[in-house]
Amino acid sequence: MGRVSTAGAGAGGLAFSAEGLGKVYKTGDTEVRALRGVDLAIPTGEILVLLGPSGSGKSTLLNIIGGLDRPTSGKLHYGETELTCLNDADLTRFRRDHVGFIFQFYNLIPSLTAEENVRLVTDIAVDPMPAADALALVGLLDRRDHYPAQLSGGEQQRVAVARAIAKRPSVLLCDEPTGALDSATGIRVLEALAQANRELGTTVVIITHNAGIAAMADRVFRFLDGRIARIEVNAQPAQPSAISW
Amino acid sequence: MRSLDLKLVRDLWHLRGQAIAIALVLAAATATFVMSLGVHRSLAETRDAYYARNHFGDIFVGMTRAPRSVVDRIAAIPGVRRAEGGIQQYATLNFPRRVVPVRALLNAVEPDGPNHLNQVTLRQGRLPRASDPGEVVADEAFAKANGLAVGSQIEALIYGRKQNLRIVGIGLAPNFIYALAPGDIIPDDERFGVFWIGRKALEAATDRTEAINSLSLTLERGASGSDVIHALDSILAPFGGSGAYGRKDHLSHAFLDNELMQLSAMTRVIPPVFLLVAVFLVYIVLGRMIRTERTQIGLIKAFGYSDWAIGRHYLKFALAIALLATVMGTAAGIWMGDAMTRLYAQYYRFPFLYYRISLSVIVAAAALSFAAAALGAIGGVRSAVRLTPAVAMSPPPPPAYRAGTVERLGKAAGFSAIGHMIVRHIARWPGRAVITVSGVALSGGLLFATTQFIDSSRTMIDSFFFRAQRQDLTVTFTEPRNASALYALAQVPGVLRVEPTRAVSVKLSNGKRIERTAIESLPANSQLGLRIDRHGNAVALPASGLMLSSQLASKLAVRIGDRVDVEMLGGRRTQRSLPVASIVDEFVGARAYSSEQTLESITRDASPVGAALVRIDPSARDSILTRLRDAPMILGVTEKAAALVKFRAMIDDNMLTMIAFYVAFASAIAVGVVYNSARILFSERAHELATLRVLGYFRSEVGLVLLGELGLLVAASLPIGCFVGYGMGQLMTAMFSSDLFRLPFAPSRASYGWSSVIVLIAAMTTALTVARRVQKLDMVRVLKGRE
Ligand SMILES: Nc1ncnc2c1ncn2[C@@H]1O[C@H](COP(=O)(O)OP(=O)(O)OP(=O)(O)O)[C@@H](O)[C@H]1O
Ligand SMILES: [Mg+2]
Repeated sequence: MGRVSTAGAGAGGLAFSAEGLGKVYKTGDTEVRALRGVDLAIPTGEILVLLGPSGSGKSTLLNIIGGLDRPTSGKLHYGETELTCLNDADLTRFRRDHVGFIFQFYNLIPSLTAEENVRLVTDIAVDPMPAADALALVGLLDRRDHYPAQLSGGEQQRVAVARAIAKRPSVLLCDEPTGALDSATGIRVLEALAQANRELGTTVVIITHNAGIAAMADRVFRFLDGRIARIEVNAQPAQPSAISW
Repeated sequence: MRSLDLKLVRDLWHLRGQAIAIALVLAAATATFVMSLGVHRSLAETRDAYYARNHFGDIFVGMTRAPRSVVDRIAAIPGVRRAEGGIQQYATLNFPRRVVPVRALLNAVEPDGPNHLNQVTLRQGRLPRASDPGEVVADEAFAKANGLAVGSQIEALIYGRKQNLRIVGIGLAPNFIYALAPGDIIPDDERFGVFWIGRKALEAATDRTEAINSLSLTLERGASGSDVIHALDSILAPFGGSGAYGRKDHLSHAFLDNELMQLSAMTRVIPPVFLLVAVFLVYIVLGRMIRTERTQIGLIKAFGYSDWAIGRHYLKFALAIALLATVMGTAAGIWMGDAMTRLYAQYYRFPFLYYRISLSVIVAAAALSFAAAALGAIGGVRSAVRLTPAVAMSPPPPPAYRAGTVERLGKAAGFSAIGHMIVRHIARWPGRAVITVSGVALSGGLLFATTQFIDSSRTMIDSFFFRAQRQDLTVTFTEPRNASALYALAQVPGVLRVEPTRAVSVKLSNGKRIERTAIESLPANSQLGLRIDRHGNAVALPASGLMLSSQLASKLAVRIGDRVDVEMLGGRRTQRSLPVASIVDEFVGARAYSSEQTLESITRDASPVGAALVRIDPSARDSILTRLRDAPMILGVTEKAAALVKFRAMIDDNMLTMIAFYVAFASAIAVGVVYNSARILFSERAHELATLRVLGYFRSEVGLVLLGELGLLVAASLPIGCFVGYGMGQLMTAMFSSDLFRLPFAPSRASYGWSSVIVLIAAMTTALTVARRVQKLDMVRVLKGRE
């Protein structure tokens, strides 16, 4: 399991905690301050929604949380493990063992069938579910032998969800997972995420521009100018099907 | 137009690695072309100028002895411009503190000025004066090798008499550009020298007052050489004429011709390989470039640029690469040509020989590389021209992967998802896979075809020096001797075995096919001189009839059982018809063999001994050589070990230099092909590879997707490379073979191994450098876009 321990990431604890996370992009002479000191605590097993205007730093934060990128300042912990001091191999190991990603553009491998795209993850995961089960969870078992080019956008995104949940991840990080989908398809995707949260206890972080989706969250972070401007706690999260699009 | 040119410069900079890799392959073509054609020209032009300036003869003939007056009769033959008779006499030289046998060929020069034909070019000093019979001009290479200078004295044994010679000049002549002692196959400047001595002095020393034993002549423009040869032979028949021959049978000329032939073979075989590979590289790189720039092309066209402007833009990209290649290749070619020419100058004696850079060669080389680049660009340029703005700006059709045979096979084989990615990508771009595989295979083939020349020469050395020639020394007598000479030799302490041998010059003919050669005879139970076939086995001499070398048999178009007409040259000029009893595959020369009895039936004499093959006790070598040096009846002693050393040195110098060049060039192909495939592969898959990194694949695992595909292609190309190399090697040994040498095609397993290993190393280091780019994959950026 490398240097990333799962201790403290169990139910009741905090999945992620951060203090003063900052991210500055330097291109030539210009500096863009994408994150300006983010403090946060994400409890294990919750669904978290990040809202905020374009350019406010949501994706930047998500990428740092997922170990795809590094902050320029501040500290980030996953459970007991300080992610900000891991080397590249350990960060990779962290992603491999704990994180599932879903992006707006599905990022499927065009040369692999739906099932093989899922197997890409189950091949290397510690305790994965069978690829077919993951596809069944998103209702695409009958399309297992189809290539991405033979699937609709919504179907492709569901394959991406199946690929993300197949490893039974501790966290699912979703950057505008429904951005390219219509409401009916979007809801199917969100249902799959909620199901993973419910059945596997996965912590789910969703970035979205659709304020309606906030209704299904346990907690909502409102982003503004590289900071968390406001945190809302939802006592009664709604079912995805009840979301007004 | 300017902004497009700016884009061109940026594109070239952006793709500089790939552009340079292609340029390297093209440059290899240019370099080999400039080198081999340039050296060929330099040699041929130098030779022709030398021949013309020093009046090299057109026809040559030797005879036992003829009165000088015969020269005038010969000069009167229609078609003869000028004839000149002279004396050529072998002598042995005695260097006081050396035991090695040193031989010299003495040539008569007119006392009152230079000869008209085969003139000596003096480097130092002057020609011998009639007043002093001991004055000689020594050939430059021999003088240099033995530390002789004007004023040096040498003791010579001429015609059985000791005589002191004094060097008054150092020079060289066009009939000894390549100077070989009789029986040698490689020049040995230390042990064989050419001397020019006053005619009267040589006449006196050889008892040939107002007589000649050799003659050269030049022809009038347009005169028929064969008619003159015919007339010459009949005039000289009573004087023991040994058959006139033209330049093609003149030893020095033939060797030089052989070299020129090999150079032009080189020019014809090797550059085309590089050009072909470069065409395909330009094709795939430009193809990929245009696919990725579809939208840009659409935009530029929508702005109003013409189709032709776009086409020209991509064509310019290819031509810029050709320009770079021409510059690099020309520079390398000139450098290599100069090195090669220096090598040649060690073996071929010219008054001047330098690598002449000729503009026309460079222009031709440039034309070839520009043509190859343009040819490679045609496909891409055409698709760019055809693209309409509307089609170009819509997103490209998604790569269509469908369930196919490969995929079913993969499933059956239980591939991992990564395995499927690798295999399907190959199947998705079969054209590119074929180009990569064949490019790497050609590289391996070229390597194999060049390294096998080492095997080839080893086989030749082994067959010629070790299996066929079992003697240590060959002792030639001043004139044919009887068995008592052999007996005398056998009495020398340390001599283990002595066998007589004899060679008689003959003309063999089968209808219109006529070949000048020698028939050699050996005793029936010979242990020192064996005839070896291509499998390395000794073949017994036939009791009757002739044994021909396969070269000779094919030139005469005869098979076993056919008859050939044998005409003895010199002596009695008897004619006989003999059956071909066997054919033997030999690598050196094109000769005929027979038993002593068969040869006697041609010469009609009781086998005199011309030479003896001698096996000695190595520890007695020095004392034996000293004794032989002082024996008056001995014309010369050849030491096999010395020839072997020279031969190996020539292979080391010459062949290894060439092979080093070609190893570098062949690796350039592998590097060029693999680098371009890898970069294209990487740019096509960057998005997928970044996705794998996001999913938690380690860098090494992601690199494996890249290396796996390349590795599969390279692995597939290795056996194909051996196959291609086998064919190329066979072709090249055949093209390099001549009347003088036939190169055996006898590749060793090591050559297959080496060429594969070198290709593998070149290919995989290149692939690894590209795979290192995985380190810099920006996962975040990649995930922002669609692709
Ligand atoms: N690689 C980069 N180089 C420079 N600036 C960057 C880079 N990536 C992001 N930024 C900047 O950082 C800021 C935050 O970007 P980020 O992608 O996190 O925004 P976001 O909240 O996800 O926006 P959106 O809702 O449009 O996706 C933006 O101003 C963006 O321009
Ligand atoms: Mg974003």
